[in-house]
Amino acid sequence: MYGSLKNPAIKRYMWRFGVAITLYVAFLCLAVWEFRRGHPTGALAYALAILPSIPIIGTIVAVGMYLAEEKDEFQRTVLVQSMLWGIGATLAVTSVWGLLENFVSVPHLDLFLVYPLFWAIVGMSAPVLKARYR
Amino acid sequence: MKNRLRVLRAERGWSQADLADRLEVSRQSVNAIETGKFDPSLPLAFKLARLFEATIETIFTDEE
Repeated sequence: MYGSLKNPAIKRYMWRFGVAITLYVAFLCLAVWEFRRGHPTGALAYALAILPSIPIIGTIVAVGMYLAEEKDEFQRTVLVQSMLWGIGATLAVTSVWGLLENFVSVPHLDLFLVYPLFWAIVGMSAPVLKARYR
Repeated sequence: MKNRLRVLRAERGWSQADLADRLEVSRQSVNAIETGKFDPSLPLAFKLARLFEATIETIFTDEE
C-alpha cells in the first residue's frame, strides 16, 4: 500500500536521513575526541567545531528533497503545515526564553538545541494535524 | 469540498486502500478528500475523473 515504507520518496528520505545521522554521530565523536585530546586552535578548531553541523544541514536538505519527490500532495501538505507549526512555536519559545535569559535568571539555552526543539514540535503537531483531516 | 467519491467507490466495490493504490496516494489522502476536508489539486482531480470515467463536476460540487 502507498503511504508506507513502500513509498519510494519515504524510502529515499530514510536512507539519506540515516546516512546524515550516522555521519553526525561520527563527526561529533571525532570533534569531541580531538578537543579533549589535543585542544586544537585556529582554523582546525573552527573546522572541527563546524564539522558535525554539516550532516545536520544534510538532514534539512533531505527533508527538502523529500518534499520535492513526494507525489502524495496530502502528505506533503501535512508535513509543510506541521513544519509551519514547528517554525512558529520554535520562534516563540526561543524569543521568550531569550528575553528571560536577559532579564531574569533562567538556565542558558544552547543554540544547537533549537534544531531538535523544532523537530520535536513538528513531530508533535503532525499527528494532531492529520487527525483534523479524518 | 463535497463529493461523490464514497458512492463511486462503493459502486465499484473498492475500499479506500484500493482507490489509494490506483491513485498512487496514501489511504489517508483518499479519506481526507472523501470527507471533504482536503481539496485535491487539479491534476489529482483529473486523475480521479479519468479513473471513474466521469467529469470533475459530477464528482465534486462547490456547494457549501
